[in-house]
Amino acid sequence: MKDPLVVAPPLVMPEGSSEGQSEAELMRQVAAGQIGGLETLYDRYRGMAYALALRITTETGMAEDVVQDSFMGLWRNAGRYAEDKGSVKGWLLAIVRHRAIDSMRRRRNGVAIADETEEPLPAALTLPDIWPEVAGRLDALQIRVALAKLPEAQRDAIELAYYDGLTQREIATRTGAPLGTVKSRMRLGLVSLRRELMDMAEGFAGPKGEG
Amino acid sequence: MAIGCDQVRDLAPGFVMGALDAAEMAAVRAHMSTCAKPHPELREMGGILPYLGGSLDPVEPAKHLRAAVMAAALADLQARSVEKEAPAGPVAVAPETAPVLTVLESGRSAGLVSLARVRALRTRRAATWLTRVAAAVVIVGLVGHAVAVQGDLNHAHDAQATANNFYDNLGQPGARSAVLIPEAGRKGAGDAVLLPSGHVEVLLHALTPTTGDEVYMVWSSVDGGSVVKAGAFTVDDTGVGYLKMDNVPPTDSLWLMVCREPNGQVQKPTGPAIVTGTIWVYSTPEPASTF
Repeated sequence: MKDPLVVAPPLVMPEGSSEGQSEAELMRQVAAGQIGGLETLYDRYRGMAYALALRITTETGMAEDVVQDSFMGLWRNAGRYAEDKGSVKGWLLAIVRHRAIDSMRRRRNGVAIADETEEPLPAALTLPDIWPEVAGRLDALQIRVALAKLPEAQRDAIELAYYDGLTQREIATRTGAPLGTVKSRMRLGLVSLRRELMDMAEGFAGPKGEG
Repeated sequence: MAIGCDQVRDLAPGFVMGALDAAEMAAVRAHMSTCAKPHPELREMGGILPYLGGSLDPVEPAKHLRAAVMAAALADLQARSVEKEAPAGPVAVAPETAPVLTVLESGRSAGLVSLARVRALRTRRAATWLTRVAAAVVIVGLVGHAVAVQGDLNHAHDAQATANNFYDNLGQPGARSAVLIPEAGRKGAGDAVLLPSGHVEVLLHALTPTTGDEVYMVWSSVDGGSVVKAGAFTVDDTGVGYLKMDNVPPTDSLWLMVCREPNGQVQKPTGPAIVTGTIWVYSTPEPASTF
């Protein structure tokens, strides 16, 4: 007689997701509570999410907590994802950045920023990626090249805001530059970066077709 | 403060970067919630953010992170089910014996998997693994304390009830739990919970389905003692497995290892270890004399 067995529950877990599924389909699975969709998204973006969390927090333990928290944010709020508002990658990275900066602020000041997965996202974070087609053509190195082409002061302003979560006023204090100068640097830097990325993307795409 | 379109355009770079003062951020949001005019500057600049995040080379996180994320999601899923439905009845179990475990502290709340706890467990596991390997050569076989409860969970209702019940138990006062972490290159993750009643339950997901006579065998060791067979379960294409054990003796720690075995008759671990974890009854199992 065989050892009596406990048969696995058949309906708790859904089928896993395949590599080829679209982000929208995966998000629909996640919104429906299917772990397989989350697994695929995790496998697809874990390295990117962890890299960003680690860059901001500079500590593996905190970065892991941020990534876990971020994927749980995605898991719990997947129903709010709208395909026409941007890529899942962009949404996830926005959550990672937000939570990582929040963790750092908590550590520094005991001050938390608003939980964007529980409250409406800032409009800027719900805007579509400006060039959906660009994402597929530019890799991390190329984006770094574009960043490196910016004047140092503009790049610093952008990176201090993006990675360190500093406000323009805080950047002004940190760098000793007037607030108006910081605002100008950030604007010029973003405009230049956008133009550079566009040029790169068009270069990869080749001459535009006539029809 | 109320602002106009021109001011929004001026504030756009700082807004998309989240780098405005709180009052300015709120003012832009308020304007955008009512303004019918297009503000392409927000779209143009805001769209750069994903590329900033993508400018970093990917960094591979520790493997236990995946298991922790999935376990947390599964716990959340079950918590949602519990909220939606009336509490399910208990899974059919073998006759219970009197509680035998001395549980010293209240358990954690259900649903969240603490990565700090995972990391601590991994550290402890490294220290205890050699002890277990040594003990494994003195397998005592299926003994009284480790009898698998044999509920038939073929029905969907039973499956859902089992999962609901498991996560209810995880949050019980006095419950002690462990995250079951996959071994390198193995697929599967889950939790185990030791209840004040002396039951131990194991719930795993993302397991490779069993075929033929194959089973997933749960091996256990109490306080670093001999490794014994605790019970077995099969897994279908859902990848989910569940096991409940009765009569676990008093212990400070209960180490669990789930192996994939060719059949349920093996008397010592022969297959690859899929997941392992340790339930610590005491809150601070690390040496307390180090300070």
